[in-house]
Amino acid sequence: MQQEKKKGDFRVVNHAIPRRDGRAKVTGRATYVSDVKLVGMAWAKVLRSPYPHAKIISIDTSKAAARPGVYGVLTGNDLEGINPYYGHAVKDHPLLAIGKVRYVGEPVAAVVAVDERTAFEALEFIEVKYEELKPVLTHDEAMAKDAPLLHDRVFEAGALRGFEGDTTAGKGSNICQAHHIQWGNVEEAFKNAAAVVEGEYYFPMTYAYAMEAYVAIADVNDNGVTVYSSAQHPFMVRHDLKAIFNLPVSQVRLVVPFVGGGYGSKSYTKIEPLAAACSWKFKRPVKLQLTIEEAMLTTRSDDALTWMRTAVDANGKIIARQAKILMNTGAYAENSPLVVEKSTNRCVGPYSIPNVQIDNYSFYTNTVPASSYRGFGCAQVTLPGESQIDELAAKIGKDSYEFRVMNAAKNGEEFFPKMRPFEGSLKQDLDIAAKALRWNEPAPKGRAKSIACSTSDAGAYPLTSTAIRVHADGSVTILTGSTELGQGSHTVLPQIAAEELGIPFDKVHVMSSDTAITPYDRSTGASRTTTLMGSAMIDACREAIQQMVAMAADVLKVKTEQIQVIPGGIRAGEIQLNWSQIISKYYALPDGEVIGRAYIRKAGRFAQIPVFWETVSTGVEVAIDEETGKIDVEKLVTVGDVGLAINPALAEGQDIGAATMGLGTGLYEELVYEGSQLMNGSILEYRLPRFKDTAKEIELNLVENQDGAGPYGAKGGGEGSLNSMAANIANAVARATGVRIRHAPLTPERVWRALKEQKAK
Amino acid sequence: MTDVKQIVNLKFTLNGKAVEVDCEAEETLAEVLRDRLNLTGTKISCEVQVCGACTVLVDGLPVSSCTLLAYEARGKNVTSIEGLAKPDGTLHPIQQAFIDEFAFQCGFCTPGMILAAKALLDENPKPSRDEIVHFMDGNICRCTGYVPIVRAIQKVAGTLESKHHK
Amino acid sequence: MMPLRRFTIDQPKSVKEAAEMLAHHGENGRLYAGGTELLLAMKHDLLRYEHLVDVKTVPDLNTISVGNNNLHIGATVTHRAVERSAEAREHCPVLVDMEHNVANVRVRATGTLGGNLCFAEPHSDPAALLLALGAHVHVAGKNGERKLNIDELIQGAYETAIAPDELMTGVDIPLAAKSRRAAYMKFQIKERPTLGLALVLDVDGGNIKSARAVVGSISPKPARSDQVDKILAGSRADVEKRLADAAQELAKVADPVDDLEGSAEYKRHLVGVFLKRAFIKALS
Ligand SMILES: Cc1cc2nc3c(=O)[nH]c(=O)nc-3n(C[C@H](O)[C@H](O)[C@H](O)COP(=O)(O)OP(=O)(O)OC[C@H]3O[C@@H](n4cnc5c(N)ncnc54)[C@H](O)[C@@H]3O)c2cc1C
Ligand code: FES
Ligand code: FES
Repeated sequence: MQQEKKKGDFRVVNHAIPRRDGRAKVTGRATYVSDVKLVGMAWAKVLRSPYPHAKIISIDTSKAAARPGVYGVLTGNDLEGINPYYGHAVKDHPLLAIGKVRYVGEPVAAVVAVDERTAFEALEFIEVKYEELKPVLTHDEAMAKDAPLLHDRVFEAGALRGFEGDTTAGKGSNICQAHHIQWGNVEEAFKNAAAVVEGEYYFPMTYAYAMEAYVAIADVNDNGVTVYSSAQHPFMVRHDLKAIFNLPVSQVRLVVPFVGGGYGSKSYTKIEPLAAACSWKFKRPVKLQLTIEEAMLTTRSDDALTWMRTAVDANGKIIARQAKILMNTGAYAENSPLVVEKSTNRCVGPYSIPNVQIDNYSFYTNTVPASSYRGFGCAQVTLPGESQIDELAAKIGKDSYEFRVMNAAKNGEEFFPKMRPFEGSLKQDLDIAAKALRWNEPAPKGRAKSIACSTSDAGAYPLTSTAIRVHADGSVTILTGSTELGQGSHTVLPQIAAEELGIPFDKVHVMSSDTAITPYDRSTGASRTTTLMGSAMIDACREAIQQMVAMAADVLKVKTEQIQVIPGGIRAGEIQLNWSQIISKYYALPDGEVIGRAYIRKAGRFAQIPVFWETVSTGVEVAIDEETGKIDVEKLVTVGDVGLAINPALAEGQDIGAATMGLGTGLYEELVYEGSQLMNGSILEYRLPRFKDTAKEIELNLVENQDGAGPYGAKGGGEGSLNSMAANIANAVARATGVRIRHAPLTPERVWRALKEQKAK
Repeated sequence: MTDVKQIVNLKFTLNGKAVEVDCEAEETLAEVLRDRLNLTGTKISCEVQVCGACTVLVDGLPVSSCTLLAYEARGKNVTSIEGLAKPDGTLHPIQQAFIDEFAFQCGFCTPGMILAAKALLDENPKPSRDEIVHFMDGNICRCTGYVPIVRAIQKVAGTLESKHHK
Repeated sequence: MMPLRRFTIDQPKSVKEAAEMLAHHGENGRLYAGGTELLLAMKHDLLRYEHLVDVKTVPDLNTISVGNNNLHIGATVTHRAVERSAEAREHCPVLVDMEHNVANVRVRATGTLGGNLCFAEPHSDPAALLLALGAHVHVAGKNGERKLNIDELIQGAYETAIAPDELMTGVDIPLAAKSRRAAYMKFQIKERPTLGLALVLDVDGGNIKSARAVVGSISPKPARSDQVDKILAGSRADVEKRLADAAQELAKVADPVDDLEGSAEYKRHLVGVFLKRAFIKALS
């Protein structure tokens, strides 16, 4: 653990330093891919399938291709010469439909033209003949004996590593992925239980709504492939593009400027292969900018239908939990197999439960492909998990907060076999939440409170490298593969470097997310940047310092042992040199530099998975209008167990942002399908959290016990406060009205109906 | 679809300076700002007048430039995010408050948010929390949970009570 | 981007010229005001026009004035202008209240009252309230002017009685009498109201001499009936007891259907909730 310094000792770290990207973002100067134009650039527009499941009989592109300004039309028939399938888990996803379409909205053809309008206008001149096939839309339909198969062949594996399960995609059923965990003896435990709760819960499909829709500019030429993309994980996209074009890694370059929101929805490869194929075919740079309505047809989150039961013994100790989860993954696997694995693990919650069995299945269906979404399946299973904690507490007549405290996993406890022991202080977190909510005072009439918590085995896989360049004038450039999605990597990473090198924050600059320049970093997601990239940053700085100590020894003609490192430089006896002086003297010119490097792998303090447990407690006080069923959140509390906040304001910002997304799914957000048609595929109908939904009272808390494996004991944050919000809403409604709602979101009509049914009883 | 191209010769004031630009009748103000005048600070997201990422001010009033025709700007005063800071680089107080209060993350909603906030404060320099929420409700931010944005506006209005959320 | 398909814009200088332009373009042309509805429908390819006739270049349609019996609002007056109008606030405060909550600031700044009514989108706040207030619209074409009440104007979802070569020039709203009590309340979760309830009462002490209740957004056009209004007249105490009956009857007239905004059953229930709330608000 890198935690020599204690809270209070830090100069730069652990301070709410204003964001590095502040000026650029408030003046409109921040560049996103949507703002980028290349010389000679053409535009692509996509024709999409109107059918959920159909054979493509023929595509006639001649009329569209003949229009003025059109360079050509790309279809699934034009992909000879490249490997058109990609995918993070399995390569089941063609960059354009080949022979068959599998969901309404699947790309069937792309027009490439001189400008966006010309490309758009040509779309309606493409003639496609389909032969409709029977679609598979729900879990039940996917499981049916005579169900048509979405995929009838086995695909090559993708880049997904650190993934423990076996991918079952394309093996004779519509099951995309199954994952199971089991310990103890569940049957026995339920037999002997003092009390059991059991129920079925539904968590909907949601849309992340990154405000910047997917966009990519690809330039494929003799030198290789260059793509400017809004991708969260440029190195992962590089992996797919390299295989598609059969090129060496060194000839594939991904550049990611500022990203307009991700929340997991921009993880892994999305539209980059299509943009690149257009550029490859029509031999010019091509920009493919989706609209939000197209983005809604590109990725969503997996829904989850969960049957769960949980048991306690006579002392109120949780002794068993069992669940069976069904997830609808849509037409292609994308990253859902990992979501399945993670949601299976996250069913357990931050509790020490001796008997556990979780069985999880995800299914291919003829709907929009699902993939990662902030929290990786955790919110889906925390609705049932944290609902049942309240249900059980009520059943045995215990206060739900005390019940949680009593069963909470303890710091250092091996509560999850084969995983890193729990690192965190859940009891302290829950206490803070309870105090903030004034838990022991009754809620005013028509209102109710709830506290809930979750812990996630962080998805971050430890493979990260970085380099820092200390220049002769003492300024520093960080080279990092982490993308700036808004989470603040451009602020947090220089804070760490400035702390380590003992120099002002303003002297450290960031060069990020260009795979041709910045060293390999596996991804930017799963709250990993601070923990892994932050740790790498410390190592790289320390390695640079070591080099500069050696240089100083050389310049001063002393032994390295005689040199002492002080903030910003070294001391040797009476002599003090700062970094700039060392470098300039070493090269005997006011020029040159020192490069510090670091590589992090699954070893040492990151040998054990997960690299941290992301533990967050949240609380709400809600008001319920029983006549309409409308719920208003009056008070919101978050408690992030972050180890150490490198930048407290940013950490709090992540917590309130994620909690607000969580409120969205708790109250309103869901993608509604009627048959094969997405009914609310526009922001006009998909209800997002707005200003009016914000709680009047907000309390954001950080618990900093420096107990993580990351820099100075930091752990990740940024997903956790989303996970328990839907459960919080459901629990608060139950406490206020006695009605248990097991279906998110708790829309006004759903709440009204549940209340009505109770009255009828 | 008509093949008759109608070119509109557009003259208006943009961020205090006269501009003249030719565009087609069906072009939106956002297209003209972003593609013809290369001012990409104005962002495009939902394109259906819901999110406010594309907010610019026309004669001081916030509009959705994703849908408003550029034609509507003729003879008017248009303010985009590029027009807020002083020529010497000094930020507008709202811009500064957004930085101070961490009122953005990804920044995609930010230009529109700041311009909407400007329109609000220009007509109501000391809005109550409810007035802020009502006016700003048509601007969506997916990152921040809105709380720091309300605080930034309150800060400019001089009504921000405590340093902490508590 | 969702580009708009190519079109031209005409700038009529008079009502007559606008009507002529519309007649000339036939099916290929359409009147255009703020464009907040029209351009969205065109972006989604639900409507296609090659020619837009800009009604805003017709002089004098963007004024608000007070006559002997009426508050007159020109067709191209924006929601925001109504919201901020001192005349409207004085003579019809319920209208200003309603306008304050239509859409978002940006749509209010460009969208017009005329455009809202003439698009006849079923989830319209103004349509419901104006029907309850007994407003009339003026429609003009090549062959002169007609006066229609709101019920005549709005024929159904996206259907009006305005001919393709006619335009609406303005709305007349009867001035508020001292005895008039009015309230408009809506229930809204998404961009458009799930339900709007307008209630206009003529009171004399504790007696409700007459009433007009309209429910909007739950049916293709705003719904009301004489029978409902009859139930809502009488002594305040009696009417209070009959509110549920009135609501039931009003819901029956509206005959809502299941859609994304909610089930028919839920909407029928909401009629009762909001009739009660509007009643309390109107009399407070
Ligand atoms: C995001 C959003 C939220 C909204 N929320 C609400 C809400 O909460 N409540 C509500 O009531 N409304 C709501 N609306 C609708 C809004 O009120 C209308 O979009 C607006 O008033 C339409 O006016 P316009 O001038 O933009 O019409 P346009 O789009 O220009 O025209 C609409 C139609 O009316 C016709 N038309 C326009 N003017 C005339 C005229 N003078 N004579 C004859 N025909 C004419 C046009 O030909 C066209 O068919 C919302 C709209 C949006 C986009
Ligand atoms: S992009 Fe214009 S309102 Fe969303
Ligand atoms: S800062 Fe990302 S949407 Fe507001």
